Amino acid sequence: MKDHFSTFHPIVNFGYFAAILIFSMVFMHPVFQCIALVSAVVYSIMLKGRGAVRFNLLYMVPLLLLTAAMNPAFNHEGVTILFYLSNGNPITLESILFGAAAACMFVTIIIWFSCYNAVMTSDKFIYIFGKIWPALSLIFSMALRFVPRYLTQIRIISGAQKCIGRDVTQGNIWRRARNGIAIVSIMTTWALENAIETADSMKSRGYGLPNRSSFSIFRFDSRDMIVSAAMLGCMSVVLIGAAMGENTIRFFPSVKMIELTPFSVVVYGSYLMLCMMPVIITMVEEIKWKRIESRS
Amino acid sequence: MPDKQLTERHWSKRMLLASVLILLVIPATIMLGVFVLNDRKYYFISLLIVLYTMIPFALVFEKRKPQARELIVIAVMASIAVAGRAAFFMLPQFKPVVAIVIIAGVSLGAEAGFLVGAVAGFVSNFFFGQGPWTPWQMFCFGIIGYLAGILFHKGALGRRRLTLCLFGGLATFVIYGGIINIGSLLMFTSHFSWEALLATYASGFWFDMVHAIATVVFLFFLSRPMLEKLDRIKIKYGLIRAQD
Amino acid sequence: METYRIEELNFTFPLQESKTLSHINLTIQSGEFVAICGKSGSGKSTLLRQLKSILAPHGEPSGRILFCGQPLEEVDPRTQAAQIGFVLQNPDNQIVTDKVWHELAFGLENLGFDQRTIRLRVAEMASFFGIQSWFHRDVSELSGGQKQLLNLASIMAMHPAVLILDEPTSQLDPIAAAEFLAALTKINRELGTTIIMTEHRLEEVLPITDRLILMDEGAVLADAPPAQAGEALFRMQHPMSASMPSPMQIYAEVDGASASAYPVTVKEGRQWLNDFLSSRTAAPDTMAGDCPQLSSRTAAPDTAAGEPPQSSKQVAITFKDVWFKYDKHGPDVLKDLSLEIREGQFYCVVGGNGTGKTTALSLISGIRQPYRGKVLIGGKNPAKMKANELFINHLGVLPQNPQTLFVKKTVEQDLHDMLADTALSKEEKSAKVAAIVQFAELEHLLSMHPYDLSGGEQQRAALAKVLLLEPRILLLDEPTKGLDGFFKEKLAAFLKKLNDSGVTIVMISHDIEFCARHGEVCALFFDGGIIASDSAGRFFSGNSFYTTAANRMVRHVWSGGITIEDVIERCQTSS
Repeated sequence: MKDHFSTFHPIVNFGYFAAILIFSMVFMHPVFQCIALVSAVVYSIMLKGRGAVRFNLLYMVPLLLLTAAMNPAFNHEGVTILFYLSNGNPITLESILFGAAAACMFVTIIIWFSCYNAVMTSDKFIYIFGKIWPALSLIFSMALRFVPRYLTQIRIISGAQKCIGRDVTQGNIWRRARNGIAIVSIMTTWALENAIETADSMKSRGYGLPNRSSFSIFRFDSRDMIVSAAMLGCMSVVLIGAAMGENTIRFFPSVKMIELTPFSVVVYGSYLMLCMMPVIITMVEEIKWKRIESRS
Repeated sequence: MPDKQLTERHWSKRMLLASVLILLVIPATIMLGVFVLNDRKYYFISLLIVLYTMIPFALVFEKRKPQARELIVIAVMASIAVAGRAAFFMLPQFKPVVAIVIIAGVSLGAEAGFLVGAVAGFVSNFFFGQGPWTPWQMFCFGIIGYLAGILFHKGALGRRRLTLCLFGGLATFVIYGGIINIGSLLMFTSHFSWEALLATYASGFWFDMVHAIATVVFLFFLSRPMLEKLDRIKIKYGLIRAQD
Repeated sequence: METYRIEELNFTFPLQESKTLSHINLTIQSGEFVAICGKSGSGKSTLLRQLKSILAPHGEPSGRILFCGQPLEEVDPRTQAAQIGFVLQNPDNQIVTDKVWHELAFGLENLGFDQRTIRLRVAEMASFFGIQSWFHRDVSELSGGQKQLLNLASIMAMHPAVLILDEPTSQLDPIAAAEFLAALTKINRELGTTIIMTEHRLEEVLPITDRLILMDEGAVLADAPPAQAGEALFRMQHPMSASMPSPMQIYAEVDGASASAYPVTVKEGRQWLNDFLSSRTAAPDTMAGDCPQLSSRTAAPDTAAGEPPQSSKQVAITFKDVWFKYDKHGPDVLKDLSLEIREGQFYCVVGGNGTGKTTALSLISGIRQPYRGKVLIGGKNPAKMKANELFINHLGVLPQNPQTLFVKKTVEQDLHDMLADTALSKEEKSAKVAAIVQFAELEHLLSMHPYDLSGGEQQRAALAKVLLLEPRILLLDEPTKGLDGFFKEKLAAFLKKLNDSGVTIVMISHDIEFCARHGEVCALFFDGGIIASDSAGRFFSGNSFYTTAANRMVRHVWSGGITIEDVIERCQTSS
């Protein structure tokens, strides 16, 4: 399925991820954690298909278990003591629960970031920061261009060096290391000397003149407006909930949460809406297409 | 000397900004963390402080409208570091990034050293994936480049290979390893404890060790030729040294 | 209106005694298309850089440059940035950003245009140059030709009054170069932009320029429309006349004294030849006109063109039914390729881009292996040989970019570095280096940094490095790329010397003229295999399009004339 959320304006994309990452890191309440984890998994599978399923099962589940086990080993707070370790330290229910919650959060964040990497391509990032930090974002842009170029050049250089008998894959370790270092060294000279022409090209095209502007091919249209409004609405409800303590949980000394009220349900619903926003958008678009196709 | 005045003005601006940060913003962050965030306070406070330390560099750099050649040299050095990280993909932790950042700091000055490090940390995660570790990496690489600039660029320590290697090894092990481990620990525990920190360091010991050895090895072989190359570029093209 | 007026311009580089530019006086009218030619080091790049203040090198200039009637140094930087467009040699180095659309907008951003204006201009330029289909791509995915076109488009987006280009096509293959020059012609004709360019590809450039300026040792030698400028050069008997287009050279040698204009293109050359032959033959009715001569077309190719490639010498390189692809699901790059190269041959491989030439070369050097078939060097599989066995005293490879070989600070150290691993004594090493230095004429360059050498000198230094390993087979990938006529001849002389001493040479090239002149056996690569291979003479006389300009000019009368010398000889004896 093609993701439609990534076709929105970079600010919408970035705003979504910024909010979702911070919320996922702060809200330890089990309901919130579940919502975030499920949304992150669903979105990652939608973005990357079977690769994401494999990634989640192969790396995320073991990571989850390992992280969950880490906490009780070092954290001995909490009132419900389950048993004692051989060194005399107690293992408590609270610390196990906290370990599980922390692990869940950690995994959620990692999965959110994998979605972020797929949606926030470099040009979107440069667009956002080009306005605030033009020089640094230009450095990013240049570096993004240089890195693939240098990797190609490293291959070319090592080929050329191999053909004069300087092979990194043959000989003893000393010789290999020396040949490898020679490649890096040749690459550095080549990169620096050629970069001077790039600087000439920049100056020649007027870089450094005052009042530089910043161009982008992105347009903030009504679609972006609607989605931003929806996102802001959900965020406000969630934040109000946070202020009223709906989203927090206390682990130590004993586990304690605020009671479930109708308002809690509203906050949960808003959070679910927010997290699932990209999924919902994509589904709506798909349904629209299906309808258009079936009509014709 | 207009150059010198410029330099001093930057110093004072950065100092001002730094003092505002240290005296107002950082305490405010800590208060916010303690009173509002409860369990997540350690992670958030540390993350925000890491971000704050980077902002003054960005602001000062943008403010002084750097020339095309400065931008390019920073981009080139950062890209070499990233390409180097990618080229050594088959050896985990054995990466030249710190070595190249140190060389950049030594040759181009503390500010450029910081920027090369931070940019390398950031850009490499465009290729290997952004994650919660990105700001920590940017900060660690950056601060090592900055220190290298302060200590070696016209500093008391000169450019001897042995001192460079020693600095590189220590910086990688203590600064990089130290900070990254704290970062990953705070990521998923709520209560800071020395025990847990010690365990994290113990589990990361060999990774950090390999990383430090890699830095020493790369500095040993690369520092002299790369510094020569950078010097040549600076002389040949009248490159403006980044101010510090 | 004058775009530029240059009065008594002199320029000296710091720490140098002789002037790089001396007493230059030029006027360039608005809308003109001017080409500047001269060998490397004649000062043409320095002259071009004087025309834009921000690119002018450090040094001592004197004299005046007026841009649109105003002294150049008084024209403010913003106007200069927008009005004077500058395209440099290397397509890769000029690109700043990572996306095509961003690169197009880069100059406009610097000038501070608003979003709307930039959007419009970028769209216009993308349409004008046909960039729409790759507008959203990453720059790293583009071909060299596309990159240079992007550089041109991103400068044209700033609407310059004058476009200055410093050897813009020297790094491109012939097809991409032709496309680029066609774009320039279109700009000049449809937008009226003044164009000033330096170029080595005279055959393609002269027909499209209004004026040719010839430079030598920092001074202007001739400044006239191409035919007249060429004529002046031949009248002076200047060595640079050897790099003029073939029709001109043939005409000058055969009929130079006559009053008609010098032919510039193959078409004009043919017309002149027809007139020339009809005036000299007794029976004009059989020779006149452009009709192909059936008798000579069907006749066997000239036997003088060369011996058949089969000789009794030993086989040096064998390809036997070789198939190759880069990855499992990728397309076949080499398809059932078979060839034999014998010891002592000078073997040229010509063909378009992406036909598998360079891949075949990497198979010879053992960097890659075929998935079917065999590659053998002296009877052994190169991929299984140790690096020392294969590359010391056996196979030498000169890479396309000589810069990939330089490690040290000076040429001399670099040469010595090649022998660092050998067991020779210090004296033996020095003697070897000295011998190679003499051979490659590097004496005056020894203390210089390899990157401070010109393209041709870098190549010679790289060749010297490779020759220190005393190869018996030398592989060359596009050795004439970016070289001017003078350095090409020099390279040819070195290769000839090596070849005469028994070194087998395998060369990949786009440079048909060079292969025809110096190659022994030529092969045409197409679609992963060799379509035709024969001795150079027969090979080119058998082709009608993929052949030298001299041959295209005369092939309707004689099929055998390949090089300029052949044709001149035939003309002189044809009466």
